[in-house]
Formats: sequence, C-alpha cells, structure tokens
Amino acid sequence: MRTADLIELLAGDARAIRRGVVTRKLLTALIAGGLVTFAIVALWLRCQPLLAAAQQPWFWMKAGYTGLLTLAGAISVRRLSIPGARLRAAPLAAALIILAMLALGAGQILATAPQARLALWLGQTWKICSPLILLLALPIYACLIAALRALAPTRLTLTGAAAGFAAGALAATLYGLHCPEQAAAFAATWYTLGIAAATALGAVTGRRLLRW
Amino acid sequence: MLQQEETEERLRPLMMRSLEGDSAAHRQLLGTLGRYLRGYFARRIGSASAEVEDLVQETLLAVHLKRDSYDRSLPFTPWAYALARYKLIDHLRRRHRSIQVPLEDAGALFAAEDAEEVAVRNDLERLLQRLPDRQRTLIEDVKLRGLSVEEAARKRGVSAVSARVMLHRSLKWLNQALRDENG
Repeated sequence: MRTADLIELLAGDARAIRRGVVTRKLLTALIAGGLVTFAIVALWLRCQPLLAAAQQPWFWMKAGYTGLLTLAGAISVRRLSIPGARLRAAPLAAALIILAMLALGAGQILATAPQARLALWLGQTWKICSPLILLLALPIYACLIAALRALAPTRLTLTGAAAGFAAGALAATLYGLHCPEQAAAFAATWYTLGIAAATALGAVTGRRLLRW
Repeated sequence: MLQQEETEERLRPLMMRSLEGDSAAHRQLLGTLGRYLRGYFARRIGSASAEVEDLVQETLLAVHLKRDSYDRSLPFTPWAYALARYKLIDHLRRRHRSIQVPLEDAGALFAAEDAEEVAVRNDLERLLQRLPDRQRTLIEDVKLRGLSVEEAARKRGVSAVSARVMLHRSLKWLNQALRDENG
C-alpha cells in the first residue's frame, strides 16, 4: 500500500473528536476500579464505625494523606497519557507530601515515651496493612491500565509506575474506611509501603502491559 | 527554534480543523507529517531501509487513531514528535537493536521534509488480506479506486454510516495487528 493511499483511507475516516477524552477515560477508570475496591472493603474487610471515626482527627489525617497522594498520582497519570506533555509538578508534590507525613510520624515517635514507641509504630495490624493495600490496588490498577491502553502513553515504565502509585493511594484511602489504626507513624510507614509496592508493581508490569 | 515555531504555526491550525472532522485538513496534515516522518526515520535507521516507509505508515495510522490523546491547549509538534519517537523506539526494540534514540527537541522531527516515497515492505498490505471480505473490498474501493466512503458504500449497497464504522474498525484492527504481530 502506498502511503498516499493510506492517507486517503485515513482522510475518509476523519471525524470530529470530542474534547477531554483523556481526563474522562482516566476518571472513569479510577471510579470503576475504586467502586470494586470499595465493595471489597465494605463487604469483606468491613468498615469501622464511620460516624464515630469521622469525629476524630486521625481519621482525616490518614484520609487527607492518601487522598492528596491520589490526586497527585492521578494528575501525573494524566500528564503521562498525553504524548509530549511535560510531567511538571505533580510528582514533586507527591514527594513533598510523603516527606511531610514521614516527618509527622517521626515527630510522633520522638514525642512518645521510649517503651511505648514500638507499639505505636506497629499498631495491631502492621503485618497485614501494606499487603492489603497492594491487593486492594489491583482492581484500580487494572482499570487504569485498560484505559491507558486506549490512549497513547509514550514512557511506559514511568506511566505504569504512576498508575500503580495512583491505584495504591486510592486503595489506601478506601482501606482507611476499615483500618482503625490511629498513629501518624503507622500511616507514614505501612500505608506508604503499600503504595510503594503498588508503584513498583506498576513500574515492572507497565512496560509490557501498556504497549500500543 | 524559529523554524519550529513556524512549523507549529502551520500545523496546529490543521490539527484543530482535523479534530473538528475536516477531512481535507486531515489529509493535508497527514501528508505533511508523512514527509517529515520519512525524513526523521531515514536519518535514524538509514534511508536505504525498506522499513522506513512501513514505519511512516504505522505512525500515520497511530496519529490518526490516537488523536483523542492530543490536548488542544498544548502545542502540536511535541505531541507528534513524541508519537514518532515512540514508534521508532518500539520498532528498534522489536528488532532487538540497541536502543539509542536521543530525546531531542520536537524540532528533530521537523528538520526536513522528504516527499519521495520509498519502497515499502508492506506490512499493511499483507495484514489487509486478513480482513473479512466486506471490510477489505471497502478499503480497496476507497484506496485503489479513489472512491469516497459514501460512493464506496453506495456501490456495495450498505449505508454510509455503516461503511464509516466498518472503515474505522478495520483501521483499528490493522493498528492492533501491527502491534501484536511485532510483539
């Protein structure tokens, strides 16, 4: 086939393209995956008594932390879905949020009596927290990958990592509906580790899964 | 730099009209882009390579099908360059060559036009033969006989709308087949 013929074919298939397709597809994926993860949290793990929890600052501290990371991750994924677009400030913002949370957790440890520090840091559920967040991230990650394959990411490892990060952060936010742990040091460590695991999974698998 | 701004000013309005469904603008955009792509790929993998024209075609198909990933508030040339560079890297990786594609300014793509179509190895033509008959004949009518999609539809006794859908599906299928067989 001559290239000129191909161009004729493509011109014959010209049609108006809607605006905002990238944002809409990614948002749909986040919502769809988030609903699956929410259902798993609500039906399997069970939510903690939310009315009581919502009165407590620690509940919002955790939700704010992972919620902001979700936002930074989603913005990064969007930028990476547009060929040639600069990544700009979102990853830096995510790094700063994590550093602030680590500082908050460290401060809390230091302000605690030495013999009580380990209990504060590990809480009751440190062993299952990060693995559960990784598990809960999978449905969201799968939806994001499906959406991204229909778009045109050109930096696959990085895009996979960003998708994993956003999925992990949203999963951690929804996990907060169940998780009764209250310490900033706990969230700064085990939540962050769960999100980091999802990011690593995205970086490793994205390269293969995102080809178009 | 100035030259790239000039290219941007020339191509971006075409892209805008193409996104509104203007097929003449779309044709003109792809034609111009094809000439730049040919020059860019030839500089990167050697102008004698029969793979240049296949890569041009593959990239034009991708530009066409991935138009919805373009953000209208951003410049056009970096978008086109990123797609071209991705296709080039993908191509080299498939052939297990060492991958050294410098990340340059978008100007690298728009340095020189090359209008001379070179021999094509014809990945697309071969894949075309695997399409179902109805889709293949529609494509051949448009491609070889120069009919508009509407004329081709009338000739085959299908509605213009379903002919358009068929054409679009065929193009998407070709794009995927290219990816999968090169996997």
